[in-house]
Amino acid sequence: MKTISEKILSNRSGVDAESGEIVAVPVDLVFAHDGTLPLAIQQLGDHIVKHPKKVVAFCDHASPSPSEKVSNVQAFMRQFARRYGMDFYENGDGICHQIVLERYASPYKVIVGGDSHTCTHGALGAFATGMGSTDVAAVMAHGKTWLKVPETIRVEVSGELPQHVHSKDVFLELVSQITADGATYKALEFCGETVEAMSVESRATLSNMAIEAGAKVGLCAADEKVKAYLTRYGRSNDFKALYPDEGAVYAKQVHISADTAVPLIAKPHRVDNVVPVTELEGTELDQVCIGSCTNGRIEDLRDAACILKGHRSRARLVVYPASRGVLLDALKEGIVETFLKAGASIGPPGCGFCIGRTVALGDDEVALSTQNRNFKGRMGNDKSFIYLSSPSTAAASAIEGRITDPRNRDS
Amino acid sequence: MNIKGEVVRVFPSDTNTDEIISGKYKYDELDLNKLAKHTFESIDSHFYEDCQLLRNPILVAAANFGCGSSREQAPQVLKACGISCIIAESFARIFYRNSFNIGLPLVECAGISKEMARGEDLEVNFDAGVIRNEDRQIELHFKPIPTFMQELLEKGGLMPYLDACGGYTD
Repeated sequence: MKTISEKILSNRSGVDAESGEIVAVPVDLVFAHDGTLPLAIQQLGDHIVKHPKKVVAFCDHASPSPSEKVSNVQAFMRQFARRYGMDFYENGDGICHQIVLERYASPYKVIVGGDSHTCTHGALGAFATGMGSTDVAAVMAHGKTWLKVPETIRVEVSGELPQHVHSKDVFLELVSQITADGATYKALEFCGETVEAMSVESRATLSNMAIEAGAKVGLCAADEKVKAYLTRYGRSNDFKALYPDEGAVYAKQVHISADTAVPLIAKPHRVDNVVPVTELEGTELDQVCIGSCTNGRIEDLRDAACILKGHRSRARLVVYPASRGVLLDALKEGIVETFLKAGASIGPPGCGFCIGRTVALGDDEVALSTQNRNFKGRMGNDKSFIYLSSPSTAAASAIEGRITDPRNRDS
Repeated sequence: MNIKGEVVRVFPSDTNTDEIISGKYKYDELDLNKLAKHTFESIDSHFYEDCQLLRNPILVAAANFGCGSSREQAPQVLKACGISCIIAESFARIFYRNSFNIGLPLVECAGISKEMARGEDLEVNFDAGVIRNEDRQIELHFKPIPTFMQELLEKGGLMPYLDACGGYTD
């Protein structure tokens, strides 16, 4: 009887793997970006890349390049990718995780990314985990990685989410219960009727945030919705159904009730510092940020636009779609017009505000963002304050220029 | 393996990799020695200089040290500062793996952050799993690191280790 992790790692390692065992597995996809690939290339040294077609490079963290130093770093990456004929995503193509979701990830794949939010791809049933540059170099050289098969924490979400309450709020509730290291070394498996009712995009927010509880991976079953998502992106052949076995053994079970869920906020400077939005209503905001690998997908932009339509933002409003495809869809649906009329600055698809490299805050400024992390200095200034929320809460708050409960607005 | 050194700092729980090295620098600089000057800048501006004054600075921390971003620059800059090893109640998993991959020794030891203070002299015996605080005349025990992880340290990290083994066995 196996958990999703045990199934994938047994399948790929060729051994009957159980939690706690160390296995060596071939890696189906290894990727890194402008923050992590240069160091990986240095660590690779004189070794040759074994499977160049399984390596993908992205310029997304500082994109388009804001300085000559970054341009030189990106040129270094570009030369490397060209030498091997690897897929290379340029400035404005989008965030690595969004492109990997759209074009590469699928059930049963083992994916190593040089970025902690690689766990996002668990939403498509992939064993996807973030590692550092040396591990990325070792995978490039050897085509495999070693892993300890993790124990799993089963997170069952039941009931129906009320209007304006979303998967981001479900995760914030989870991390407030288990804390920032509650899932360290473990896999999270998200299941239950609420997760089944969520779209793949919505589940991707849960999987993306798994690392904020310390988890190795954040997995969802690969069901008919995953099949439909892959089909939408021309990858129906990559689908394989994947569910945990009845009777699989879990280290812990957590239950979250969707019926009683409310919009939540993570306060500075920790992701598990969570309170209901009602406790912070009225907090003045300098900037509202909508986007990131957590909540920069078309559904997220729709949720925000639905609330913003016909209104102007009182706070500075910055919107970064997660990929070129998302931006194109947003244009077609009139969402970009809604944001522009609300006073938003629309950024090129990429990480943008999330890591403070191309968008930064001033001293003592307060931001509300749909990203995944609010550590001190995360957005480029250690004298600023970052609150985290869902896109709906962010949109409602932008209109008022203060933290606002989205349930109090007409949608 | 034995390390004798002085505690340079004791950090609290959940010290994260954004604090160790800010994202605003890591894209600019591939020279880790230059990057090291910005280590802990936002929370501890004298960290780099203080490390230079000690022979074998040892960093001590409470739980979940190195959480957050997977940036390998975090253990790299600590190593470039001269940190000889890090002893914490627990480590975040990507940071743990990254440190061994680059040959920076880590020790997990319950109760460590309460029994050590800045400036104290320590001796860490990796084979026996014992930390001796010379100033307080006390000993703390830890579970010795798995042989495989010790081999990573001995070879200087993951890449040299895999080269020595001839890669993964199929």
